[in-house]
Amino acid sequence: MNKEDTESLNSIGPSCETVEMGINYRQLVRGDRIHGSLLHDPDVFAEEMEQIFVRGWAFVGHASEIKNNGDWVKRQLGNESVIMVRGDDGGINVLSNRCSHRGTALCWEHSGNNSFFQCTYHNWRFGLDGNLRAVPFPDGYSKPKEELGLNRAGQVANYRGFIFANLDGQAGFIDEHLGAAGYELIDRLCEMSPSGNLDLGKGWIGHRVQSNWKLWPESDSDGYHVGFVHASMSASTDTHYDDVAIGGDAVQSSRAVDYGKGHLELDWRPSYKQELSWLGVTRERVQDYYSALSQRVGNELADQMLWDGPPHAFLFPNLFLGETVIAIVEPVAPGEMIHRHTAVQFEGADDAFNERLLRQTEAAFGPASFITTDDAITAERVQAGVSGIDTSWASANRGWIDLSRGMHREAVDENGVRSSNSSDETTNRGFWYRYLEMMSEEVTR
Amino acid sequence: MTSPELRTEIEEFLYREARYADEFLLEEWEALLTDEFHYWVPAGRLQGDPSKQLAYLNDNRTRVATRIRQLQTGKRLSQIPNSPMRRVISNIEIESANDGEVLVKANFVIYELAAQSSGELRVWPGQAQYRLERVEGNLRMSAKWIELVTADAGQRNLTFLI
Ligand code: FES
Ligand SMILES: [Fe+2]
Repeated sequence: MNKEDTESLNSIGPSCETVEMGINYRQLVRGDRIHGSLLHDPDVFAEEMEQIFVRGWAFVGHASEIKNNGDWVKRQLGNESVIMVRGDDGGINVLSNRCSHRGTALCWEHSGNNSFFQCTYHNWRFGLDGNLRAVPFPDGYSKPKEELGLNRAGQVANYRGFIFANLDGQAGFIDEHLGAAGYELIDRLCEMSPSGNLDLGKGWIGHRVQSNWKLWPESDSDGYHVGFVHASMSASTDTHYDDVAIGGDAVQSSRAVDYGKGHLELDWRPSYKQELSWLGVTRERVQDYYSALSQRVGNELADQMLWDGPPHAFLFPNLFLGETVIAIVEPVAPGEMIHRHTAVQFEGADDAFNERLLRQTEAAFGPASFITTDDAITAERVQAGVSGIDTSWASANRGWIDLSRGMHREAVDENGVRSSNSSDETTNRGFWYRYLEMMSEEVTR
Repeated sequence: MTSPELRTEIEEFLYREARYADEFLLEEWEALLTDEFHYWVPAGRLQGDPSKQLAYLNDNRTRVATRIRQLQTGKRLSQIPNSPMRRVISNIEIESANDGEVLVKANFVIYELAAQSSGELRVWPGQAQYRLERVEGNLRMSAKWIELVTADAGQRNLTFLI
């Protein structure tokens, strides 16, 4: 369906009512299903960009990308173009990439190093903290300069180099957002580095997909599809997914976990049949890495880490910890998004090991990879399916997406963590519970 | 100076390689490769050491064989059906030619139809750099490096042979 069709659909009939009454998300996100319109309605998209990416916390980038003062990278948070920059004091600022004079974008390259940002329109000059430093012919202004700085994220948090921002500053503290699980998942990955630190400085690769952004939290944390969508990968290479994610329910002991707050994991750990399965090598091949790691954490823990591997987890709303890859889910339009990834590099590991991670990343992620290409095509097919005329607001019975798999066998522990067989839609439901909270500003459970 | 005969031979090789790729003649295409073949599509310019960078595609001979095998499984969703596609090659410059080895640069534009999903016509402009070697009298490709005009901008699925 082309864009004009979508627009004309929304400009007639029941959607007029919708505009008056606001979108009732509680009607559209039910426990066992969600409505397909959430994946293509432009009004929904516009509200998400505000409710989730302005009012909530989102992942921006990693401190290792901007090691020196003045280093910056440009990022997209929903509709907002932002600059993540290391300031003169060594702290990290997240600034609006929009001149406070008449709105000109300040940075158009992906990254750089500057001692200030200068707008090319009338040469206003901003410090790395976003404060307005100088304007040409200043006697034309009676306003104080302090009022004319760049917009800055209201809150910025740095956990082990992972930089999160909340643009409007009203979202509550980062602890509340990440919760114990968010911290534990990041810890689990970082602890595998010999130094305890990651380096995410190899650059980000954009995979442009004609789907709604929310289809990626879904597929990144979906254990049900692996044997089908990735059958060609499984048939042409030796992959650890054969052990942990492919096969009938009975042979799977992996878990789909919903930690709450939209943080999700496909926990492969119980299924691994040998150490280093996640890397596809034997210990002899990574002896230097093992020695470096065990020097810091001891042999026992290092042995365990070789078995367990890095987490396969999604942190709401846009960060995928994809084992040895990190990805950002970047919305562009209702039916357009970018899955942007970089390779995990362990600081303190030998070059050969980190190069292995680069090659593993190239095989798994991105436009020419063996794996996420088939996720991309699947997301595009879902998009094509749900954007059809059947998904009109008018009908109570049409246009739903079923997410009920495994509801009857989910376990809930004393902390409210839900888990089930890895092929169950526990993770998908977890995403949508959090989504509903963010969009309706009410607690869902 | 490249002889007219060699130039013709090189051009015919490049056109054949292009057609095999366009038509998903995978075995024929693979037969053009040497055992050391290196296939590289960086996420930027063609510079620096490929092994130290994160690329769109960086295949040694083993991995390109896997790539072809994956396409041959009949289960490669992102190429079911195969993209109808045609590429045009031009501006062929032969950089150096001695007995064993020839370096060639050429511009290309690929027109690809995303028949697997949206039906979008996708245009892939760039430069290809080839290293050709003579093996038992015939030209073979020991490297194909691609610099996309859009290298910095992210890509749609690139699951054909570029
Ligand atoms: S718009 Fe930036 S200085 Fe005028
Ligand atoms: Fe997948």
